[in-house]
Amino acid sequence: MRKILPLKVSVSGVRGIVGESLTPQLAARFVSAFGTYLGQGQVLVGQDSRPSGLMLKKAVMAGLLATGCQPVEVGLLPLPTILFLTKKRQARGAVVITASHNPFNWNGLKFIGQDGLYLRSSEVEEFLDIFHQGEFTYVPAERIKPVLSEKEAGYLHLRRIFSQIKVKEIKKKKFRLVADCANGAGATLLPRFLQELGAEVRFINTELSGKFAHQSEPTPENLKELGHEVRAFQADLGLAQDADADRLALVDEQGQPLGEDATLTLSVDHVLSRKKGPVVVNLSSSMVIEDIARKYGVRVYRTKIGESNVVEKMLETRAVVGGEGNGGVIWPAVHPCRDSFTAAGLILEKLSSFPGSISQLMATYPRYYLLKEKFDCPAELAFKVVTELRRRYQRENISTLDGLKIIWGEAWVHLRPSNTEPIIRIIAEARSAEKARRLLEKFKDEIKQILSQVS
Amino acid sequence: MKPLKLSVSGVRGIVGQAITPELIINFASAFGTMVLAGPVLVGRDSRNSSPMLTDGVISALLATGHEVIDLGLCPTPITQFLVKNKGARGAVSVTAGHNPAPWNALNFINSQGTYLNEFQGQELLDIYHLGRFKQLALKKTPKIIRELNPEEPYLEWLLGRLELPPIKRAKFRIVVDPTNGAASKLIDKLFDLLGVQLIAINNEGNGYFPHDPEPRPRNAIEVSSLVKITTADIGFLLNSDASRLSLVSEDGETLSEEYTLPLIARYYLKKQPGPVVTNLSTSMMIDQVAREQNLPVIRTRVGQSAIIQAMLEEKASLAGEGSGGLAFDYFQPAFDALVTMALYLEMMAVEGEKLSTLVKRLPRYHIVKDSLVCPAYRLHTLVAEVKKLYKGLEINQLDGLRLEKKDLWVHVRASTTEPLIRVIAESTSQHRAQMEVDRVMAYLRRLTA
Repeated sequence: MRKILPLKVSVSGVRGIVGESLTPQLAARFVSAFGTYLGQGQVLVGQDSRPSGLMLKKAVMAGLLATGCQPVEVGLLPLPTILFLTKKRQARGAVVITASHNPFNWNGLKFIGQDGLYLRSSEVEEFLDIFHQGEFTYVPAERIKPVLSEKEAGYLHLRRIFSQIKVKEIKKKKFRLVADCANGAGATLLPRFLQELGAEVRFINTELSGKFAHQSEPTPENLKELGHEVRAFQADLGLAQDADADRLALVDEQGQPLGEDATLTLSVDHVLSRKKGPVVVNLSSSMVIEDIARKYGVRVYRTKIGESNVVEKMLETRAVVGGEGNGGVIWPAVHPCRDSFTAAGLILEKLSSFPGSISQLMATYPRYYLLKEKFDCPAELAFKVVTELRRRYQRENISTLDGLKIIWGEAWVHLRPSNTEPIIRIIAEARSAEKARRLLEKFKDEIKQILSQVS
Repeated sequence: MKPLKLSVSGVRGIVGQAITPELIINFASAFGTMVLAGPVLVGRDSRNSSPMLTDGVISALLATGHEVIDLGLCPTPITQFLVKNKGARGAVSVTAGHNPAPWNALNFINSQGTYLNEFQGQELLDIYHLGRFKQLALKKTPKIIRELNPEEPYLEWLLGRLELPPIKRAKFRIVVDPTNGAASKLIDKLFDLLGVQLIAINNEGNGYFPHDPEPRPRNAIEVSSLVKITTADIGFLLNSDASRLSLVSEDGETLSEEYTLPLIARYYLKKQPGPVVTNLSTSMMIDQVAREQNLPVIRTRVGQSAIIQAMLEEKASLAGEGSGGLAFDYFQPAFDALVTMALYLEMMAVEGEKLSTLVKRLPRYHIVKDSLVCPAYRLHTLVAEVKKLYKGLEINQLDGLRLEKKDLWVHVRASTTEPLIRVIAESTSQHRAQMEVDRVMAYLRRLTA
């Protein structure tokens, strides 16, 4: 049995179980380290709907005040909205009290730096060094600042999106939609967003009690309720946000999930049709992105897995669009972060310019089949397995940027030891489901064989 | 060195040095672990750092499973009153009382509305040092109730216990300096209800201290000049949480904080006869007042916690310290400068006497106070060394050293709030008191040199 550690410190922050590992003391220490790292300035404080959020927020406030930062309470808001506002307000950073899609009893802190960007790995290292050394820069009493509060800030984010898309064209179509907010912070803004786009919408799972009706991973299982509602409402499209509202999954007019890559596919195609420029996606996103980029004659950059890696490369290459295959669309015209609102806006605009249904639109793209699986493997062996496979496939077209990716024309496989769990992730894509399955099985067998040799 | 003082009733230090969010959360978690499940009150003074400490305290109380009633800006005596009034399990008052602006403190209050007694204080420290705090999973959002007018039930109670008609008839004019502390603005309401014309300074509650928030003559200069200019009947100076008070008489004399207790004692003890509790460092003036009415004076260690504990044990009528903190058993067992101000007005109205006349009736003593900064870890050993100066004399060692010689007493003790040794002497002769303090100070300086 895998032991689940009750406290996880990663590039995006810290997560733990309230009442066990995530104490107010720990939160105050992390935030004191963050405040020390940032230096004094405004820091936005947001939270999701979990019941322990209030307790942690008080500890976060104490840590920020003591280190001379000025907290700006923005309350319950989607993650991309908070990232956007951090830049808009020219704040030093932000702390968001959230554990995204983790179970109910978990909570966590996400740390966001200047310009509303996640900390880069080098910055995270510096910040964690301060945390571990425990030497925080507390200011004397007279330099403690008053707390500010901004309650209506979320609308600024929507206004920015409206300024970048053709609101009139979308309004004309009077879309019928069903939207699933997964009981996440998206529910605070999505109704207003879609209403201003002239859509007639049925909402599900908008209650913000901190309890989640379903997991927010966009698996067919979790999109069942949405599919059902789409058929019942005779909607043109179903939209599903995850708990933080940074990712978006789609369900077509027949209630069928469109596959994880559809959101990114549609968004990339649409942005490139308006403005040509480089595209950045991670190694595990579908090959359809290359097909689309070829159509427009632009370059595709592939990065390690992780939003901050994609964003970093996008800023470096001045990419016009990018993202992750799991429904995370990044459009720098709004803000360089994964944003389900931006994605929804782009997809509705695309659909408003297409004379057919969403399923007909999807049929215009080359069809790929992408399969994912996890393989149990202790962390220290996972590394050996990947090294051995790299040796065996060194003559093929490979990438060793993040684990091992092997590419053969119209198929590829990506093997990656997880950072947080003792598993190897295997992702395979091909033009047929059968071929993708065969690739997956072949590599599972090969890993098994290597494991039996090394252990 | 980062001065941090733990005492039975709380923790105190300089913000950003000893007072950090983690320390605050740990202490408040220990308190939340100690008190029974149920609501806990949190009040604070106006210091710049108080919201930071308050956030830490609230987060710890929520994590340990308590409902929090947030009183906002609230004088400690009102927070203490509200514990019973609201049926709370206890309270935390965030204030460093008379300490300068860089300081702050947590003061823990039990379910009876009094400072923790020494046993409760010891239990709190044990839990703190053990570091195993109660922690809840918080499956439901915990409750914070924001009390917008916490003073209302208090003022109603206070007015119900005063002789209102004479106070109102007297049409007093008074000057009050709440030092921009927790009682700011609130005094407008109180004195309006008493029919008193109030001239207030430093009444913004913004935590900016124009002088150290300690009620004593050197900080009462503004009050004194205003009393003279406006021909007021009396002037009052408060500390930052309205637990201590010093007086300015109608002729503008800034009275030592030592007068606050004996000046009111004669009047109050006539109404409510009973023993008087005070500490070992307080002036002998109170002994004479009590003697006139054949009432005993019990002397304890210094500090509100010890004084109130003795007050309850001895069923005392009046308790107070030379620092200007007074508790009246007809009101509540808490140092309460709001009650004290109201009683002064009642006394002046009922007896029809000027404050300066009342001062003249008290015996004239001279009290000399001095202090020596010294590392916290050497405080008690150095105090013990002073015994060598007084070989052959009977020494009271309840709190440091206190001894009496003919028409003189001297008290040498470690401060509970700062890393200081305090030396206090009192005599009918200014010269003798000064000589004695100088002798002890010289001896201590030689030891620390």
